[in-house]
Amino acid sequence: MKFGTVLFKYASRSLTRHTRRTAISMTGVGVGCAMALIALSWMNGAFEMQVRAVAESGSGHLMIVHRDWPAMRENTLRLTDWEETLAAIRTTPGVRACTARARANGLLAFGNRSSGVQVMALLPEHESEVNRVVSRSRIEGRYLNEEDPGAVVIGKGLAKRLNVELDDDLYVTLPGTDDIHSAMLRIVGVLDTGSQDLDLTICHMTLANLESITGIPGAGEITMLLKDHNDINTVKERLETKMPGNNLVITWKTVLPALASGMQGDKALMRLLTAIVITVVALGIMSAQLTAVLERRAEFAILSALGMKSGQITRIILVESLIIGLGGALIALLVGGSAAWYLASTGINLLYFNADALGPSNILLDPRIYGSFGPWLIGYAAAISITATVAASLYPAWKAAQIDPADALRTQ
Amino acid sequence: MAVTITDETLVHAKDVTKVYQTGEVETYALRGIDMEVKAGDFMAIVGPSGSGKTTLLNLIGALDAVTGGSLEVLGKDISKMSRRQRADLRLHALGFVFQAYNLFPVLTAQENVEFVLELQGVNNNRSGRAREVLDRLGLLEYANRRPTQMSGGQQQRVAVARAVASQPRLVLADEPTANLDGENARILLDMMRDLNENQGTTFIFSTHDPRVVAYARRVVTLVDGKVAKDVVKENDTDGGV
Ligand SMILES: Nc1ncnc2c1ncn2[C@@H]1O[C@H](COP(=O)(O)OP(=O)(O)OP(=O)(O)O)[C@@H](O)[C@H]1O
Ligand SMILES: [Mg+2]
Repeated sequence: MKFGTVLFKYASRSLTRHTRRTAISMTGVGVGCAMALIALSWMNGAFEMQVRAVAESGSGHLMIVHRDWPAMRENTLRLTDWEETLAAIRTTPGVRACTARARANGLLAFGNRSSGVQVMALLPEHESEVNRVVSRSRIEGRYLNEEDPGAVVIGKGLAKRLNVELDDDLYVTLPGTDDIHSAMLRIVGVLDTGSQDLDLTICHMTLANLESITGIPGAGEITMLLKDHNDINTVKERLETKMPGNNLVITWKTVLPALASGMQGDKALMRLLTAIVITVVALGIMSAQLTAVLERRAEFAILSALGMKSGQITRIILVESLIIGLGGALIALLVGGSAAWYLASTGINLLYFNADALGPSNILLDPRIYGSFGPWLIGYAAAISITATVAASLYPAWKAAQIDPADALRTQ
Repeated sequence: MAVTITDETLVHAKDVTKVYQTGEVETYALRGIDMEVKAGDFMAIVGPSGSGKTTLLNLIGALDAVTGGSLEVLGKDISKMSRRQRADLRLHALGFVFQAYNLFPVLTAQENVEFVLELQGVNNNRSGRAREVLDRLGLLEYANRRPTQMSGGQQQRVAVARAVASQPRLVLADEPTANLDGENARILLDMMRDLNENQGTTFIFSTHDPRVVAYARRVVTLVDGKVAKDVVKENDTDGGV
């Protein structure tokens, strides 16, 4: 149907017969779609933020582990040729930063106090590039140096539990290949991450230090951050071709499966709620359009008597719904767009809801979550609004096309 | 000027019956109509309420399907046509004027006329042609008015203009004057009669009004779904109210 044709004038002006009804329909679709846009903006923003928080809290976007690690989660597993692998990853396109680590379950003791802890042995010069637990925390004393034998950095909570201070010497017990090894380590720094729970788990030493205490050489994991988290799968494939021996490339989702499925579940729930809102709106539109058709029975009868085909009558109703859909899209953009803009520019302060910055699985969350905002909003608004109204008008349009002229003119 | 009725037959009805089925109940609206309408006719269908006038006009107008018998309109057998073919016949060869609700309230008089031309696929200068039709019938002053801004009589005249805009062979009008006063009925019938005499348009209209019947050149009386009388006036004058 072309602009300027009488058919188009008829369809568009028909919407002005009951301006209030048309306005309510448009507002209904508009508000429903705005809710969808806000949900999407929030969901995309929060998802991106969470992925970043997860990746930067230690697990990285991608990790190299021993092929048995996903099933066993055993700390003593070591990578094949970790130094060469690390060097190769550093030059792989798409990789922003990377480092190697080993972990060990140990016991810290001071005086009559002790605490079990997972010791993280790392390369101090690279750890802060990939781990916000290191880079964003306040530190009393100093962090580890590249060569730092006999030095340890622990979390503030752990220090309190052990009743130790800077420069105290901790007695550390760690499992070796076939027996238990111990050492005295000096506390050179105390980390304050902002999360008490997380502070209780932190015990960092250099990789060389762990190797010399336990006698197990090498690194158990290489973790890396990518320039763009959307490239996870591409970079993963790229790396898989050059992994030696037992090395395996995994994503953060394999490292933290519960978190990944939780996030997926959040997304699905948000989508479901959005779909329900849109469905309810669409049913409202259907009822309004059906009323509009039944009110105009005599007119459709005359149109049909004049020789209009049922396809053309269907098209009139669909054009009317298209206009309602466009109006709805505009309202959705105004309402949802400005809300998304607020979410994207000001964000929502999570500390307002939860004083601790720690998320699930020891993730150090950003204190603010920002929604996503961009031209995609226009496409989504138009697509959701127009699809919903046009789909909702199919039945009323079909109903209009079915009107029997002789019958309708008699019963008018 | 008296129009010459040619031998061409526009409507040929043979034993046409129409039965309405409402649940268990069957209503015999037409019980065997035999009738011919020649090109150039100006014919009234009269009869008591319920005698089948509207039913017959709807059948001739290809708005409804016959139950029995054969009905040819403009050489085409209505009973053998699909819904779509009947719509095409209405669009290209027939004009309609109804008792009420004729004009689309959201369109001006001119747009109402233009609409028919557009549906027919007329491509050039539709608005000019619509104005021309209105002008010829003395309705140009209403061109930009919507139906709500016109009287009932003016609306019916525009409806006639719309019905003849595409120069159909046959115009069907079911009680076109039912909602009009005597003066407006007279103006409308004058206009129809004028179109009949000057353009050769064939009209079939139903009515209850004896003053309107007086305009007809031929009067068919229906009683109980059958043709009771079929009178062609010999010395027809201009009629009169
Ligand atoms: N759709 C229908 N269903 C059932 N019966 C119908 C239907 N249409 C018409 N009838 C019946 O058919 C008969 C003829 O009706 P029709 O409308 O043709 O009469 P009419 O001569 O036009 O009457 P009026 O002068 O009141 O307009 C009537 O008995 C009517 O009740
Ligand atoms: Mg009738």
